[in-house]
Amino acid sequence: MTVMAQAGKKVALTGNEAIARGAMEAGVSYVASYPGSPTAEIPGVLALAAAACGHYVEWSVNEKVAMEGAAAASFAGLRSLVVMKADGLNVALDFAGALALSGCRGGLVVLVGDDPAAHSSIREEDTRTICKAVHLPVLEPSSVAEARDMTREAFSLSEFLALPVVVRCVTRVCHASGDVTLGAIPPVERRPVFGREDRVITFSARLHALLEQKMARAAEHFAASLFNAYSGPGQSDTLIIASGPAVFYAREARELLEQEDRVGILKLGTTWPLPASLLLAHLRGVKRVIFAEEVEPFIEDGVMALAAAEGLLHLSFYGKRSGHVAGSFGPGAGELDVDILKEALAGALGLPYSRPVVAAVAQSLGQEMPVREFALCAGCPHRASFWAVKAALELDGRGGVVIGDIGCYTLGMAGTGYHLLQTVHSMGSGVGIAGGLSQLRRFGFDRPVICVLGDSTFYHAALPALVNARFHRSNFLCILLDNETTAMTGHQPHPGRLTTAMGEAGDTVLPEELIRGMGLPCSVADPYDVEKTAVLVCDEMRLPGPRVLLLRRACALVAVKGREKDTVSVDPEKCLGDACGCARFCSRVFGCPANIWDETAGRARIDEAVCSGCGVCAALCPRQAIVVKRREGVGT
Amino acid sequence: MTGQESLRQKILDRGLCTACGMCVNLCPYLGAYRDRVAALHPCGLADGACWHVCPRSGLDPKQMDLSVFGRLREDHALGCFSAIYFSRAVSKAPGAQYGGTATALAALALEAGLVPAVAVTGGDALAPKPVLAVTREEVLAGAGSKFTAVPTLAAVNRGQKQGLTGLGLVGRPCQVAAARKMAETTVPGYESTVPPVALYLGLFCFFAFAPEFYGFLSCEAKAEWVVRSDIPPEELVVVTAAGEQRWPLAELKPLVRPGCHHCFDSTAEWADLSVGSTEYDPDWNTLVVRTVLGEKLLALALERGVLEIRPYPPERLPLLRRAALGKKQRVLAGDRELSGLALDFEYEAAVLRQQGGASGDGNGTGR
Amino acid sequence: MAPDFREPLNIIVTGVGGQGNVLASKLLATAAVEAGCRVAVGETFGVSQRGGSVMSHVRISRSKAYGPLIPLGAAHLVAGLEPLETLRVLGSYAGVDTQVIMNDRPNYPLACLSGAAAYPDVAEMVKAAAGLSARTTVIPASELAARAGSLLAANTVLVGALAGSGLLPLCREHFLAALDTLFQGSIKELNTRAFLLGLEWRQEEGRQ
Repeated sequence: MTVMAQAGKKVALTGNEAIARGAMEAGVSYVASYPGSPTAEIPGVLALAAAACGHYVEWSVNEKVAMEGAAAASFAGLRSLVVMKADGLNVALDFAGALALSGCRGGLVVLVGDDPAAHSSIREEDTRTICKAVHLPVLEPSSVAEARDMTREAFSLSEFLALPVVVRCVTRVCHASGDVTLGAIPPVERRPVFGREDRVITFSARLHALLEQKMARAAEHFAASLFNAYSGPGQSDTLIIASGPAVFYAREARELLEQEDRVGILKLGTTWPLPASLLLAHLRGVKRVIFAEEVEPFIEDGVMALAAAEGLLHLSFYGKRSGHVAGSFGPGAGELDVDILKEALAGALGLPYSRPVVAAVAQSLGQEMPVREFALCAGCPHRASFWAVKAALELDGRGGVVIGDIGCYTLGMAGTGYHLLQTVHSMGSGVGIAGGLSQLRRFGFDRPVICVLGDSTFYHAALPALVNARFHRSNFLCILLDNETTAMTGHQPHPGRLTTAMGEAGDTVLPEELIRGMGLPCSVADPYDVEKTAVLVCDEMRLPGPRVLLLRRACALVAVKGREKDTVSVDPEKCLGDACGCARFCSRVFGCPANIWDETAGRARIDEAVCSGCGVCAALCPRQAIVVKRREGVGT
Repeated sequence: MTGQESLRQKILDRGLCTACGMCVNLCPYLGAYRDRVAALHPCGLADGACWHVCPRSGLDPKQMDLSVFGRLREDHALGCFSAIYFSRAVSKAPGAQYGGTATALAALALEAGLVPAVAVTGGDALAPKPVLAVTREEVLAGAGSKFTAVPTLAAVNRGQKQGLTGLGLVGRPCQVAAARKMAETTVPGYESTVPPVALYLGLFCFFAFAPEFYGFLSCEAKAEWVVRSDIPPEELVVVTAAGEQRWPLAELKPLVRPGCHHCFDSTAEWADLSVGSTEYDPDWNTLVVRTVLGEKLLALALERGVLEIRPYPPERLPLLRRAALGKKQRVLAGDRELSGLALDFEYEAAVLRQQGGASGDGNGTGR
Repeated sequence: MAPDFREPLNIIVTGVGGQGNVLASKLLATAAVEAGCRVAVGETFGVSQRGGSVMSHVRISRSKAYGPLIPLGAAHLVAGLEPLETLRVLGSYAGVDTQVIMNDRPNYPLACLSGAAAYPDVAEMVKAAAGLSARTTVIPASELAARAGSLLAANTVLVGALAGSGLLPLCREHFLAALDTLFQGSIKELNTRAFLLGLEWRQEEGRQ
């Protein structure tokens, strides 16, 4: 594993690997996380290194529980790391706010992945605004190498301030790769101490005052931090204040516009609390300030407030508030890049600038470029489940509604899931929404209500809503799409699995046992048997009360890993092509990427490069033209 | 348009579907749950077998007579037939109603190798389902009247998928008509060299109930119940552990499948053999022999001692004819378009002219 | 090997989620570090793994660190695992001196399979790519990958073709070392075979 190479070596790491390395170089003892993009790979890397380094890693049931565990380690004096995505911090926020108040002992680093442009997220939350609300200091790396540096230093900073420290990493750092010169990994030597006399208590307004003092101390410390750096001429009239990867975009924009002699760049690595004295020192000499940060105008607002307070009224500000720093979604939305900053800088300086002309591909091609919508993988059991639910809704005929949740199956809102899902919000929220909708019966709402959620989401946040539904006699069908893993983020284990993050045996908590333990009826079926599943959904929809239908089938990506696949092919004699009344059902409607259409032969075809061998299409083909050849020894 | 969209607009959405099941399992776009056939997804095709095989999408009785019997009917009440009897199984299957004739004939056809499997309506009365019976036991398990519509023909199509053709069918009149239409279809991809059904055992049917019927029963009868229905007479009899209860049919009318009010055929006129109650003797069935194949199967049944028959009492015939004609005349008096019938004036006039009591050609003595 | 390399050298690897974009860019980045270069790779994964368009930006420099995103119109090399996606990338990132190496095996978007959109003719796409670039080379990467032992190794074949183009400041040995770092056992053998097939194919092509 490259990330475990020896100190002094220069290697290519992803941002997430660099973060993991940074934590190990800081001597982390305890790591907990719930997986979320863009930070999902960090605990996995640490888990692989656990045996060698001696730290503990767990995939917790959710971010709040992860943070609580990490806090415990910190209370006992150990260094701990808790990893999550921005939305995960919201889940943990109740505890995070309290933890800020109580403070901590051993270095506690909260590594949060923000996803500007929402590449793999519901929204592009800016964690800095949350940290400001709960008073937690924030470091913000601009590159892969700095992600390692900051993670490592954040532990010391946390111990210095006796406060958890947030390292806010955006997707363009987490998922980027860069060269990193590795530091030494010290042995994990600290031993936990938490005696009867120890107190970590939050109930006091006095503690708030203490927290404010800690933040003031942080601001003072940050003013001298090496994570903040100025580059540019000694005297300049224009200053770019940049954070995160936008530091590099700003530098390149300045270079491309040949303004190195005129424009200074202040790179801010400590973005909360703002290092006021450092900022003021740079603001006093310039006329105009340009802000390069993602996503919210966070530094921008802080700097403008600071300038107003200090009476620096000669400054002009160029950023999201002024509309100068704006991508295709407008200011304050989406990611930045070199081109956006080039345009902003040229605008601020009054330089001629024209956006690069995007080649007219459609014109040179002579047709429109087809869009490529996201698609559930070939063989994905969710596709089978969605087709069964879609069929069941039509067969039932009462206009049932389908409530979605967060996971791969969120794609059920798109064509790949037949546009079934009507609401998608946050982890586990579908169950609560379904419960609420079903209570509307008393006002005349008479449609059946179905909610779908995945296994990992079930453990994460659905249990309270199910208990609530049971107690209040809600009336809906909860379909648990159990693919036996946390698929979307890279197949992390959850309490339904046999082994933990570290490969140790876990005491499996089966969903059906939990559900039945709540007093809810729970049937189990295999979604690959689409027809049977559709009937079962119809049956269940007719029965009263909150009930759960568990559709269990392993994620197709996991199921085929390291195993020989069943081979699926189309018998060109049996397939009638366009003469069949199926109207190309397999390739045109069912939508599995492995079901393609052979234009030359005028027949359906299987793309063997992606086919997982599930055979669901074979069962749906009205002509039995799709043939499944099972691996030897696995029946027919 | 003669495809799925027409089926949806003109049949399914208007509640005219008989849930025969003939369109189910032909393609991935239509499905059935209990007594409801539904379009699962628009197939986008302008022409489809689903429309052509539907017993409500256009049925020309003359054409059907010609293709099944090679001649036109003389009796507008009961259609073409060669003989009519009272019949009963020598050894009646448990659960079978009246004389158990249909079950006995289906089991015999299977055992004698006339058909490789028989599509029957299995399950219990509360949860009936299409079954493709390949053993005698499976046929016997299907014995007993079901009061709701069951898409039994979906099992025929499933059999087709498994390579089973030339099947037996025990079905309602609409199902016999649909399966006959299927055998004749010329829709590309569905035209069959071997007809899916080779033996048609039709059941008398004056209407089917909607599933709410069972809700009504469990509310009203309030007991463990066994149903014996005498239809068409004017009442429903429910025999429960506590005794016998009766409801006038008029009270049950809202529970009848709406499509059944537009049905022209109560005696499975295009079957090989039609079986019904006698409205007279609960231990016997009415058996109408219609085709040569029907005659052969009856002969075999008698030869093997599976069935016993006795002459149809001449004084009962007018009653049966009146019931069958009455249904046709009510359809003609109603919204004609909803019946899906293609009738010429002459034919219609012939039906209206007939009197229940007047003699047709059938009096139990042959054609 | 060409004497004068771009600084930084901007490479875009593109394809469809699941085709192994991430691994291809990782191989490039690892080889670049083996050669003592600075490297920045920008990519997105997560939901895009699920059959969406994917694109990795790889920036190789001999002097300094760059950001992970290549400016518009500034790609020097575009390596496409799929024709449509190659063309899509060229639309935004092709400049006057962009060179293209593209696989010829289509991966049909749902919209094309459902009939909502037409998948362009591959020959037409190659023509359009040639029009948008300084040079376009079509490689039967999937075919070569199948020959190497798995259709899924088309990504490594393509990296081999890049290595054989003479446009990278990296030698075959840097890549072999990178393969050694990243893979083990039979997977390493498969990828090495695929890499060499791509490399040799491109060198052969270059001589013609």
